[in-house]
Amino acid sequence: MSDKQYSVKDYYCKHTTRCSSETIKDSKRFVGQDILKADAEDKVTGKAVYANDITFDDMLYLKVKRAVHPHAILKDIDTSKAKKVKGVVDIFTAEDIPDLRKFGLIIRDQPVLVALGKTMRYLGDALAVVAAESIEAAKKAVDLIEVKIEELEVITDPFRAMEADAVNIHPDGNILITHNLETGDVEAGFAESDIIVERKYQTQFIDQLPMQNEAGTAFYDERKGRVNIWAATQWLHDIQADVAQSLRLAKDQIRIIQPTIGGAFGKKEDVSVHIHLAIAAMRTGRPVKLTFSREESMITQSKRHPITIINKTGVSSDGYLKAWQTKFIGDTGAYASSGPAVVHKGMYHATGPYNVENIKGISHAVYTNNTYAGAMRGFGTTQGAFAYESQMDIMAHELKMDPAEFRQKNIYQLGSCTPNGQRLNHSVNAEETIKKVMELSGWKGGK
Amino acid sequence: MKKKGRGLATIMFGFGYGEGFPDHSIASIEIKADQRIVIKTAAADVGQGVITTVIQIAAEILRIKPDYFEVIQGDTHTTKNSGSTSATRQTYFTGNAVKKAAEDLLANLYHYGSMEFRSNHPEISIKDGEIYLYEEPEYSISYWDLAAKLKDKGITLEAEGSFFPVTYQPDEKGQADKVYVAYTFLSQVIEVEVDTDTGIIDLLNVYTAVDLGKAINPKNVEGQIEGGTVQGLGMAVMEEQVIRNGRTLNAGMSDYLVPTSVDIPKFKHYLIEDQDSEGPFGAKGVGEPTIIAAAPALANAVYDAIGIRFYDLPLNPSKVKKALEEQDNKN
Repeated sequence: MSDKQYSVKDYYCKHTTRCSSETIKDSKRFVGQDILKADAEDKVTGKAVYANDITFDDMLYLKVKRAVHPHAILKDIDTSKAKKVKGVVDIFTAEDIPDLRKFGLIIRDQPVLVALGKTMRYLGDALAVVAAESIEAAKKAVDLIEVKIEELEVITDPFRAMEADAVNIHPDGNILITHNLETGDVEAGFAESDIIVERKYQTQFIDQLPMQNEAGTAFYDERKGRVNIWAATQWLHDIQADVAQSLRLAKDQIRIIQPTIGGAFGKKEDVSVHIHLAIAAMRTGRPVKLTFSREESMITQSKRHPITIINKTGVSSDGYLKAWQTKFIGDTGAYASSGPAVVHKGMYHATGPYNVENIKGISHAVYTNNTYAGAMRGFGTTQGAFAYESQMDIMAHELKMDPAEFRQKNIYQLGSCTPNGQRLNHSVNAEETIKKVMELSGWKGGK
Repeated sequence: MKKKGRGLATIMFGFGYGEGFPDHSIASIEIKADQRIVIKTAAADVGQGVITTVIQIAAEILRIKPDYFEVIQGDTHTTKNSGSTSATRQTYFTGNAVKKAAEDLLANLYHYGSMEFRSNHPEISIKDGEIYLYEEPEYSISYWDLAAKLKDKGITLEAEGSFFPVTYQPDEKGQADKVYVAYTFLSQVIEVEVDTDTGIIDLLNVYTAVDLGKAINPKNVEGQIEGGTVQGLGMAVMEEQVIRNGRTLNAGMSDYLVPTSVDIPKFKHYLIEDQDSEGPFGAKGVGEPTIIAAAPALANAVYDAIGIRFYDLPLNPSKVKKALEEQDNKN
């Protein structure tokens, strides 16, 4: 137990969030001006305070023992040797906190710690957490934790995961979610088409790679019964609620304070250090810090979904889109994260900004034992655009038409309807973007 | 041999969570006697500049230099929900929430100002943080003095604003009247040079036109276009976390390649500002749309250069070289 009384206000890292109007030409208007970012100076001079910069005198360092196999049942975990390492103050496993609830952004399917007899589903799953006086001691102890497992089939491919004889990664099966999209009559549209192009596209796992790895500092205010956490987070109040429910605490008992954020791109939407920090702070009564290495960050936190996209598109000989059929299969990895929202958002954008009356689509987000996939800039539509804009180019070439002209023939106008049946009644200047980019690049005669 | 090509891609992005999700943002603004105007929002500034954006919006409405504004640190116990910094939503959602709070505050400056001067509202003007009588500008009171006077009466010069637009959950066929609050459109032409001996793709020029309604801060939009495009080009030509049998083979910055300053092409862009969106001052979101066109525009440029269509990403040198060799063997 710490003999010090800490108060959040002593650690309030005040952001210098002042803008300067020095660079403004017209002093009456501030919208539409190139005002220097309020936090730019602090960032370039090193004054900005990131989660990892917050330290306490008697702080403990945490290190997480991760899964030893991508798909296995935890049979035994022995921390006795690890506990003997000099400087180790606490080691906890799921057995020490029996009533933990699972967490997750949309579906709560991710264990805070894998319990005995339960399944580790990817290499980022947490088995134990060490709290020690130094990071070196914590690392040493993690290496001495001994684990016995029973291996299961490792499923690395969503198409294998969907086969009838594949082992279930989660109790309800490997297809996390399915969405359909249908408008018009796609078969009639193909019958009207002069050219039909069908192609299969594949995207890859990508790390959002923000400069800052996951990091956080926390202390438990026993008087108020509240855990105070400093950790970069894309949505403070959502993480607060998820941490609180997983620990069966009231929301008010979890306070999350936003330090300067070193980039995110979707990767800091998920819980990372937060729950382990809260448990360790409450158990030890001392301030605690947890910082991921780059390797740990890449293996443990979300990825961009690899998506297999099959597009079948029909077009008339004069260059008008008649029908578009699409299928999206997304590898969502071991846990749901944003997966239930990403893959079908890609499908909802499957035809790009083009008028198509007859559309049919299906999307599946599928569990595997890969690192889980979640949010990354574009959220499924980045993958989808690679497929639809390749498709548009292929069709333009088949039609022997300038790709820009072909796009302009089909581009959304005010009053156009999206694949979801949403009538676009304001702010549709899509054609103007093509005209302007042609002007800018000197595009003519098909290139 | 080096072969040049150029490719075009046009994309759309429906922003905000949409799909009937209760997407909203709450913000508040307080004018303090000590010459500070404090904006409270939980909106995470991940580097995109939402802090600066909301200051510019509030400054515009409250007719006072941005220098007086301060945005407090996000904190679950001192700010209310602003939703996530994702889905390209903060300028639109928190920008609108801050604008509404600022408008409420401005109206109250007129209200309390008119009490101070015992005048009608139209007889009052506001400029540079001073409230004054239009006909007799020597009668004036600063925001700070007004805040101090009101404080003595137990009144705080503070306002809260929320933005909570409606969307609908699509039915089993994916259909609904309004699935996303609005769409951002973007077209991009990318020019490349492919080295047919090595398979290396050099990124030469990027031209971008984006339909964004209104740029609150054009320089920050430029930052989004350049950053987003380079990240998208990373996806197009080099980035891949290789996971085999559940194990990542390149977990680290020495094996996971990302674009660096030497890879970055030249940029030219054009902003289409029709101010016709329901965002603050007609603004739409640009964060995510700026990454989306890069990979297809690049793949189309590579096809233009060497006549080979690639269907899987990334187009790294070994993949391109192998495809060129196959093309040679066929000819």
